[in-house]
Amino acid sequence: MTAYLVNLATLATIFGLLAASLNLLIGYAGIFSMAHAVFFGLGAYAGAQVALQLVPDVLLACLVGGLVAGVLSLCLALPALRVRGEYFVAASLGLQMMAVTVFSEAGAVTGGHGGLVGIPPASLLGLDLSNPRFFLLACVILLVLVLLAIRGLMHGSFGRGLMAIRDSESAAEAFGKDVRALKTLAVALGCALAGVAGALFAFYMAFINVESFTLEQSIVLVAMVAIGGAGTLLGPLLGVLLLLLLPAGLSFLPFIPATQIGTAQQLIYGLAMTLLMIFRPAGIVGQAGERR
Amino acid sequence: MATIPLSVRGLDKRFGGIAAVQQVDLDLREGVTTALVGPNGAGKTTLFNLITGNIPPDAGQVLLDGKPIRGLPPHRIARLGVARSFQDLRLFGRMSVRDNIRAALEHDAWFWQPGGRSAKLARERAVDSALDRTGLTELAEARAADLAYAERKFLSVARILATGSRIWLLDEPASGLDPHSRARFVQLVREAVADGVTICLIEHNLDIVTELADRIAFLDRGAKLAEGEPQEILRDPELIGIYFGEGRA
Amino acid sequence: MLFLQLLASGIQTGAIYALTAAGFALIFGATRIFHVAHGATFALAGYAFLASSQAGWPWPVGCLLALVAAVAFGLAMDAFVYRPIQRDQGSFFTVFVAAFGMTIVVQSLIELAFGRGFEVVNTSLTMARQVMPGVYLADVFWVAVGVALALFILVTVFLNRTRAGIGLRALSENPELLRAYGLSSRRLSALAFGLGSALVVPGAVLTAMTSGLQPAISAQVMLISLAAAVVGGIGSLHGAALAGLLLGVIENLVISFVDTQWSAAAGFVALFAFILFRPSGLFGRAVVR
Repeated sequence: MTAYLVNLATLATIFGLLAASLNLLIGYAGIFSMAHAVFFGLGAYAGAQVALQLVPDVLLACLVGGLVAGVLSLCLALPALRVRGEYFVAASLGLQMMAVTVFSEAGAVTGGHGGLVGIPPASLLGLDLSNPRFFLLACVILLVLVLLAIRGLMHGSFGRGLMAIRDSESAAEAFGKDVRALKTLAVALGCALAGVAGALFAFYMAFINVESFTLEQSIVLVAMVAIGGAGTLLGPLLGVLLLLLLPAGLSFLPFIPATQIGTAQQLIYGLAMTLLMIFRPAGIVGQAGERR
Repeated sequence: MATIPLSVRGLDKRFGGIAAVQQVDLDLREGVTTALVGPNGAGKTTLFNLITGNIPPDAGQVLLDGKPIRGLPPHRIARLGVARSFQDLRLFGRMSVRDNIRAALEHDAWFWQPGGRSAKLARERAVDSALDRTGLTELAEARAADLAYAERKFLSVARILATGSRIWLLDEPASGLDPHSRARFVQLVREAVADGVTICLIEHNLDIVTELADRIAFLDRGAKLAEGEPQEILRDPELIGIYFGEGRA
Repeated sequence: MLFLQLLASGIQTGAIYALTAAGFALIFGATRIFHVAHGATFALAGYAFLASSQAGWPWPVGCLLALVAAVAFGLAMDAFVYRPIQRDQGSFFTVFVAAFGMTIVVQSLIELAFGRGFEVVNTSLTMARQVMPGVYLADVFWVAVGVALALFILVTVFLNRTRAGIGLRALSENPELLRAYGLSSRRLSALAFGLGSALVVPGAVLTAMTSGLQPAISAQVMLISLAAAVVGGIGSLHGAALAGLLLGVIENLVISFVDTQWSAAAGFVALFAFILFRPSGLFGRAVVR
């Protein structure tokens, strides 16, 4: 039982990091990306390759994963700067679909449809982290550090800059803000953190393939952020917990056959998304007209 | 002889077939407050947008301290010392009053501002000073969107005040203000001018214009019809006729 | 001749895409609502037809049921989801998430009712006949093209000639004009949703008969409609239709050269490229940035 809980906790931590990074884009920068799973995947593949080819050091893998995802986030930043709203969402959808194809075909780097297998357990500067509890601890520490950093940034000039852009882009420009640079930074940071989560994911699963990085995953992430409360620090975490615990909770209900749990889960979170947006658009944690 | 802080030469802009700004020349001299007046649609706000880089001109030049700035993006022009306000204010509604002013001072596009603690303290002092001078200190933590109308207008000025910009372009800054607030506003502007700020304001309220303006430029349908001392312009019957909508060709 | 065959199947697919995309573009053009649940409308229509066929009812009944399902869903989304959100100053994010949520709900309900597998309705329309050496066309091809053309002509006439149609165009561009005409924006918005949703029905029924239905089709159709609407130029019905046609053709042609995986991606590459380099699409109005 404890092994199961440790595993669940690790997954929750990794997805917590992932949701927090998406929250940077959606909740703070107002950049509505449906392609976040792409950067999760980029980080995972990069981290996995580091572990397989070099050394399974979790710090190094996270660094490389974050770097790769951050640099490639330009693919998302470019449309974000050119168009907004509906168009940008469409572009991000396009990016997500293209990425799935690339992930499936770029066999040399991603292992194609089969994915990458046999990823060795993590170590941290020589310390062995193959015990799941130690790995969980490392993940939790990382999550806390990242959350603190995000909080610090959002309470400071960067957060103010992003909020100013959201409230009135023309006024932000009139007061010296380089809107393009700020947006690009926000995208780069959000995607880089997704890459870090991806590297952790690769160690956790010991095997990754494209199935984890599809549009469906991006949608789940958006649901987590929206349901929990975009633009808040804790909202995405709550969303993660709810959506991860949902299938477990559903398995206790007698009238849902095991094969239908996935579908029932989808039904519930789809409904939650819609109802919340109608009655409580700020999400569960957010308050209407919230300040962070 | 000092260079003119801001000057505009032959500025021209068309939208489709309509001339929004036609061959406008304007000098904003140091310490001189200029008012742009004219009927609605005369191109006054468009002129501001051309100066601040929000719209590219079709022809002409904008000179800041003698150096051409045409083609620079708005945020660069703002950093060079040209501050503007908007007719519809465009405050950062979800942020507090204090944060609105802080945001106006934070120019660097990075995760934090350069200069460390000392720069931060300097910025905080500028914010406190702006809050004090606009009478918003009590409301510093209130949400901008929750403020009353007059307070919002003063916040709009506070943002500009804090930046220490030497050139202010104000778009109807006093419209809709009650007499008491108007008097406070006039006082604020006079203090700024005494500090050496060069101001150009678009204003419909002729009382404000007479109280503050050293010069008036009269625009109609994109062209500058006249420029001169307030007494001359405001007594010219033809201009008055155009302004109030009679006898337009 | 292979080329002609692929072209023909491309046109058939394209006709379906064109209709669906036009429906999406109609709704967006009139209401400025990014109706992401449009794919769900398609799925509902298709499965309604399927259910009717499985129950043994004649195909006109099936078509009627599909129409009712589609229009009802579209109107319900407008009345119960979009309108309440917009009343509360809903942001784009809110509308999008809500619509997406409903798509997921519909997809899940269909899955629970029909399972995840492919379902096809068998009709004689899909029997292929040789038209020329190497080129086989089924009757369904002519039906698809014919219905698409007919509907387009009808919709175009409606939008340009009738009071309600002009009202729809005015709804997003010029609301004051509406008052002059004495039209209510609420009714017009309902009209847009009803009409736009109805346009998916032929495509849904035809898909049920040809490539078959599966619950995930709502998402697929949504993506295609979106891609076509953007490439064609959001706000332009004809643009969306033309782009849908092109996407269908390209998809089928590409299959012959490369892996199926890439052929699906081809549409999205086009979408992404357009947004980067020409966001106003082929025929759209200039996108104000």
